[in-house]
Amino acid sequence: MRPRGGRLSRIREYAGGLRVGRGLHSLAVPYALDALDPAETRRFEGHLERCPRCTDEVRALAADTVRLARAASVPAPPDLRERILAAVRATEQEAPEPGPDAVRGPGQAPVPGARDGRSAPARGRAPVLVALAASAAVLAMVAAGLLAFALVRTDERLDEERAAAREIAHVLAAPDARAAEARDPRGRGLGVVASRERRQAVVTAAGLGGPPEGRAHQLWVTRAGAAPRSLGLVDGETPVVAHDLRTDAESLAVTVEPAGGSVRPTTAPVVQLALNSVGFGE
Amino acid sequence: MDADDLLPRVAQGDQQAFEELYGLVSGPVYGLVQRVLRDRSQSEEVAQEVLLELWRTAARYDPRRGTALSWILTLAHRRAVDRVRSVRAAGERERRVAQRAEPPAFDQVAEEVEDSLEREWVRRCLERLTDLQHQAVTLAYYDGYTYREVARRLSVPLGTVKTRMRDGLLRLRDCLGAVA
Repeated sequence: MRPRGGRLSRIREYAGGLRVGRGLHSLAVPYALDALDPAETRRFEGHLERCPRCTDEVRALAADTVRLARAASVPAPPDLRERILAAVRATEQEAPEPGPDAVRGPGQAPVPGARDGRSAPARGRAPVLVALAASAAVLAMVAAGLLAFALVRTDERLDEERAAAREIAHVLAAPDARAAEARDPRGRGLGVVASRERRQAVVTAAGLGGPPEGRAHQLWVTRAGAAPRSLGLVDGETPVVAHDLRTDAESLAVTVEPAGGSVRPTTAPVVQLALNSVGFGE
Repeated sequence: MDADDLLPRVAQGDQQAFEELYGLVSGPVYGLVQRVLRDRSQSEEVAQEVLLELWRTAARYDPRRGTALSWILTLAHRRAVDRVRSVRAAGERERRVAQRAEPPAFDQVAEEVEDSLEREWVRRCLERLTDLQHQAVTLAYYDGYTYREVARRLSVPLGTVKTRMRDGLLRLRDCLGAVA
């Protein structure tokens, strides 16, 4: 079956692009406007690496889009400033990339073989905290750890991680978001950022180490007069996002359970954190 | 001090430089993100993500590839566009229905935004574009549609959309050149 006119010309354009870069070249403008789909973006960026002329053109077009961007400027919400600055104080930076970077900045697809992004979240502080009360600074600190965790991932799980980062950011952005953290003298503990209004929380465990052979760490939320509810298994320092929390929830706890988890806790908590300082428990 | 001076210092871990940079770019970053996303709380989330990413990845900035501000706003724009597209993909069905009734959303510039010379200038220059140039550029840049989606929305061939986008941006460049 012969392709009809429209499709034929598209195929020609595509093939021409592959051969002489002309069809691809016409994508410079949509690229500068971020108006390509992901597959085309990758294709065009591949082309850019071999086409200095296109790189120049994209740079010139970027100067145009910057004008469009600046024209949209509005003052950021005042509380964003404190939140970001506090987060920055607690967030470790990436070292400069040794290898070739993506073509045009950090919004790029991950560079294969780039830095190992799997290090633990950097918190930039000593683990000496014992039951800190909720405050903007703690919120920012926990937030920074969580976001740093989610943002350092540059591997194939990127989309998944970014989805997690969005969920975390969503909890953090709640007007009533508060944070708390507690550690025991051995450095084991829990951190939480929670929104009573959204009935959500992001929980991280620290210092637990791997569970014993054939066992798993399981996270629970407790409340008076009811059995603990499982929030799932804890995998290292990966944040757990909890939804549909009851406002009378009292505490979070981690227990060691058989691999796969239990319906009810079968051992005493390894670490525990009260939720009253983050607005729950009434 | 402008962003070009500050960003390399930020890459060295200079928090004070970041604070200054925040003062320069938070408005443009937040405004751009909000322009694309419309939704306030989502805009805050994305702006927060972008600004923290800026701190974390400042070392990736390469001045040979453009100005610091351009790099920062490119990052912000991409994050906003990614978000608006995933939101749209989630509501694809409703969107398809709504799209038939809805006129092209190109004329929603500056609702309650503060006035600035820059914006005023850009707005005037945008007005000088032909309708099709104007819509092609703003649907893509401010509304986050791909050029294929823009072509569908405006019922014009892909080639035409690309040409209109190019002509529109070049005309904008000429018009703005006076104050560049």
